[in-house]
Amino acid sequence: MSLATLTKPWAATSYGFLDASAKRELRRKMLKAVAVPGCQMPYASREVPMARGWGTGGLQVTLTLANPGSVIKVIDQGADDGVNAASIRRFVSSVSGAAQTWDTLDASIIQSRHRIPEEILRENQVLVLQVPDPEPLRDVESNISIARQMHADADYGKLWLTLYEQIVRKGRIMQGASYPALVNGRHVITPSPIPRWDVPKLHMSKHLTILSAGREKRIFAVPPFTRVEPLVFSDRPYLVEDHAGLTCQRSGLSGFFMNELPMDGGGSRFEVSDSNLGIKAIRRTEGEPDGIGDTWYRNGEYSA
Amino acid sequence: MLSVAPPDAAEIRCNAVFEALLWAVSRPGETQLLPAPGMAGIIETLIDLECTAYAEGEELRARLAATGALLTEDIGQAGYVFVDSLMDFEAWLPAVNRGSALYPDVGATLVAAASHGRGSRLRLTGPGIAENRDILIDVPAGFWDLRAQLSAYPEGFDLILVDGASAIAIPRSTHVEVL
Amino acid sequence: MAYVATRGGEKAIEQAERLFRQDLGTIDPDRVETIRRTMPYLIDRVMGEASLYSEELAALALAQTGGELSEAVLVLRAWRTTQPRIAIARPVQQSELLTQRRISAAFKDIPGGQILGPTLDYAHRVLATDVLEGRPYTPPMVDMADRPAPQRQPVLADWQRQQGLVKPAVPSEIAPEDIPDLTREPLLLPASRAHRLQSLARAETGGVLALGYSAMRGYGNAHPTVNELRLAEAEVVVRHPRGAQFSAGRVRVSQAEVTSKEKGGYLELGYAATFGWNEVKVIAAATLDLNSAEAPVGSAVHEEFYLYHTESVEASGFCIHFKLPHYVTFQSVLDAMRGAKARQASARAAEENQEESVP
Repeated sequence: MSLATLTKPWAATSYGFLDASAKRELRRKMLKAVAVPGCQMPYASREVPMARGWGTGGLQVTLTLANPGSVIKVIDQGADDGVNAASIRRFVSSVSGAAQTWDTLDASIIQSRHRIPEEILRENQVLVLQVPDPEPLRDVESNISIARQMHADADYGKLWLTLYEQIVRKGRIMQGASYPALVNGRHVITPSPIPRWDVPKLHMSKHLTILSAGREKRIFAVPPFTRVEPLVFSDRPYLVEDHAGLTCQRSGLSGFFMNELPMDGGGSRFEVSDSNLGIKAIRRTEGEPDGIGDTWYRNGEYSA
Repeated sequence: MLSVAPPDAAEIRCNAVFEALLWAVSRPGETQLLPAPGMAGIIETLIDLECTAYAEGEELRARLAATGALLTEDIGQAGYVFVDSLMDFEAWLPAVNRGSALYPDVGATLVAAASHGRGSRLRLTGPGIAENRDILIDVPAGFWDLRAQLSAYPEGFDLILVDGASAIAIPRSTHVEVL
Repeated sequence: MAYVATRGGEKAIEQAERLFRQDLGTIDPDRVETIRRTMPYLIDRVMGEASLYSEELAALALAQTGGELSEAVLVLRAWRTTQPRIAIARPVQQSELLTQRRISAAFKDIPGGQILGPTLDYAHRVLATDVLEGRPYTPPMVDMADRPAPQRQPVLADWQRQQGLVKPAVPSEIAPEDIPDLTREPLLLPASRAHRLQSLARAETGGVLALGYSAMRGYGNAHPTVNELRLAEAEVVVRHPRGAQFSAGRVRVSQAEVTSKEKGGYLELGYAATFGWNEVKVIAAATLDLNSAEAPVGSAVHEEFYLYHTESVEASGFCIHFKLPHYVTFQSVLDAMRGAKARQASARAAEENQEESVP
């Protein structure tokens, strides 16, 4: 054996950017994350050429999964052309040779920040959610050692209490995005800061979802056909954002999650948040085949 | 600013093995095809000097040693256990590391050779399975009872059962009923 | 594709990056070499925070980021990710360090002597404005000592242990390859000794200083005395696959040991070390280490608090991530707020109706 056998010819960068050992660690932790749905698995989280907090957790997962046959879609706030989404998609493609797409239906890997696309994901698609803060208990317990013990004990009383207090004070649960949800009846997760609108899309879905927090170094997963139940009281139904009746002023779509744009002189107009769905709808009005797949919401009602 | 080489053969192999394993553990009981028969591909894909492993059989041990992994004689220390048979499971299964509620990730991955498509009929339920999935696996029936006794979810171990180039995963989250 | 036409984000970001890089101009080996040669302490700081020892790469990182320190550290750490680990070096012993500076504030003199080495400690910090008026500053040469200080220096704590002042060291029975490596596994708490010291070694200098300083000012429970401070070079000794051990080169290192009051009949020691020469960082970091034992949860000297919050790449990245759009989450909050308001308004209206209907 010589030193040379321990290494390989120098290359400026490994395929897929991450070196082999980083990929192996991610593979091991991803398998564990899927084996214990919703449980936060610690991982080393290597630095990647993007700042922490900018999707480095999702990026490491995507880079581990990607191969030259992959088709990558990256969205930020639902938009494919968001500056950071575009930057991540270009990077993944350049280091892995994977193809890029904006079309949810064409993608094999969808990396997203803050949204789940409106079109139903298939079993051969993987959703990678970027997670800024993986700890659903952070607001009630900032010490991570104590929070970890609470997960071990399935002690979610403090979390229930804050939700209850919101109802008492405000008449409803005030949690916006990142609505806590119980996975497989055991571990509470934050589904990442997706709106409440999107949380039902994780429940008993056909696709695998991997949630990865690069800065906080935690990875967790929701396998296909896994129960994901938002924490609610039996007499207070889960409320998604009241967007069912809004219409996109650009595409004419209604019944989907919208972006609100303030207007001069008061009032707002709305645009559909899933930007590629909007593009497809516009294509339809221009007489082209739209190629819109089945959607989780129909007429503003969750029905998948 | 950056030039990236295309994937080499090892990279392509490991990517494919991992895809099969991830799919397998996401859909317990479903058969996945590995690029090549045996456990060598799984070792190449998952194991390196960061791991502690246990194996029976000289060939497996040599293969693990070549990855730089720490080979242990104490099965309870191993994060990855490779065995070519589950027939004498009573002797060692209780010692396999099942992690803790605090650190479920410490629970071992047990990779074992077992024939698919014959043996006991199992009904699997749990995450990754729409309702239930029935499979035939040639593992002594008592194995599943002991597994159930040992596991206090989320503590437990995750199984990968290899038959030639086929792999079936039964993670700890899967409930196994012997029919 | 009418939807996209009004956006144009991709072109804008490309041009924004070009603006940044255009301002810095062409980066060539000369510029990199000049930075490397003239800014050794800056290079040291960047190498320490990047946990990657390469003066040349650190200089390149500084050149291409225009000296934006957190960006320079990030590119180095990201590059480090792509590199395989081919060997594990033998742990460095203090007494083997090729020591260039070694001082103690705890004693007037110490075995081996106080070796001042290179320092500005006693200099008047006067800006050499003459240089700008065309009179280059050439420092006077050092007068050679009659006899050079020994390359290696004894360890003060060893003497203190002999005297029964410091608790006997209990080295862990652990093979070098089994020492946990923070860059290969996550920080879990309570942290192993190795992880705590590694995390401090790659911590952001300013962050460590701020938290260490808070402890020094009294927000911790121990006021540090510098027991021993060293600037040195360490041999990186690795084992050839055929068995022979050899030095693959030297790295500059700093280390500090601080002490405080007695506890259980012994002086307590806090310790820190890092790549490169960075005295402020190791003294502040050793102070945090010293204070951690009985630190209240959530205080600045509590291990979880200072290790997480001095992580340079994580802290700076998260800070700048708030520039990213957050309009989906904001929309979700607005919805809950409007829902609550509407509910209150309708409850009020119902109350008023009821009052009106009362005869």
